[in-house]
Amino acid sequence: MTRHVPDESLADLAEGGGAEADRAHAAGCGRCAARVDEARAGLALARRADVPEPSPLYWEAMRRNVGRRIAEEPHGAQRWPWLVPVASAVVAVAVVVFTTGRTHAPTAPPPRTLPAWSALPAAADDVSLEVLEGLAVADPELEKLDEGRGVTAFIADLSDEDYRALADSLRRAGQGGES
Amino acid sequence: MSSPALALPLGLAAAAAPPDRGAPPREAEREAIEACRRGEREAFDRLVVRYQRDVYRLCYRYVNDHEDANDLAQEAFLKAWRAISRFRGESSFSTWLYRIAVNACLNFRAQRRPTTQELPETLADPVPGALARAEGDDEARRVRAAVARLPEKQRATLILKVYHELTHEEVAEILGSTVGTVKANLFHALGNLRRLLSAEGR
Repeated sequence: MTRHVPDESLADLAEGGGAEADRAHAAGCGRCAARVDEARAGLALARRADVPEPSPLYWEAMRRNVGRRIAEEPHGAQRWPWLVPVASAVVAVAVVVFTTGRTHAPTAPPPRTLPAWSALPAAADDVSLEVLEGLAVADPELEKLDEGRGVTAFIADLSDEDYRALADSLRRAGQGGES
Repeated sequence: MSSPALALPLGLAAAAAPPDRGAPPREAEREAIEACRRGEREAFDRLVVRYQRDVYRLCYRYVNDHEDANDLAQEAFLKAWRAISRFRGESSFSTWLYRIAVNACLNFRAQRRPTTQELPETLADPVPGALARAEGDDEARRVRAAVARLPEKQRATLILKVYHELTHEEVAEILGSTVGTVKANLFHALGNLRRLLSAEGR
């Protein structure tokens, strides 16, 4: 006695196909033949259930609704086109800042707080540091910026306040690196 | 994998027609997709006209309700519009669109799971002769309801394979599965469907 036909092959038999060896087995095996018959009966039942046809006007209404909803939102590829150059510039500046910072980094651990006369805020108060940390771990594949991932997605999630803080911080850091 | 072919032209007349899966690859559809990537909403409108019937029916099979199917179909098209810049043409557009619609339906059902009762993976054998009681529209309604109660993968496989006449390979791609699994799920879905309808007649 050969092995019973596996389920995936029984589906082929139920649909009228299948391998010759499987058909031959099912022809002489009551168990497999019964299972094929059951699947065929289920297939016949399934085909009796058509979907009720909506009104002919429905399709036009759906088309209009989809069009209206699409018109209410910007296109995905063009949602924030200004972010691409902005994000690229921010990343470039951030790389410069990090590189410059590493070059001149003191060997001793930095103080937890800055002197009162410092132009920069204390680390605990500087939201831009978190932003820069986010940039450092963001997807570096700049070619994917237009797909809304990586840095673009990160920048897009910034609040206006955080965005201004980032820009101000980078501007100050750039001025400090030049002096 | 074999790609389903889609009929041309892309026009309003296609709204009432099922997909012509024997047609050659369509240059017009590729052009429409490219135009969509450029943000041309009119081009997407042509794709909506072409596929709205299939997507609606797919959703209806899942949820067995017109209003829900309408919402899900529109949602699927919106998601497709938002993501069309990422459509690479590695599969046919219809396969890609179906996958979006299936995911929308799965998410919908997951959110409403407490109100739907799925079947176990297998059911007891039916009472002989019980199937003969079902007739006409009432039978169609009961079959649709039974399909909607099948386990998730079995239901998806049955809908895509039987009602949308996709190949096993296409179904596997949409569901992120293998051809063998698709065939096995189809086999179990058909058996469970018969048992479920038979059990109703007891």
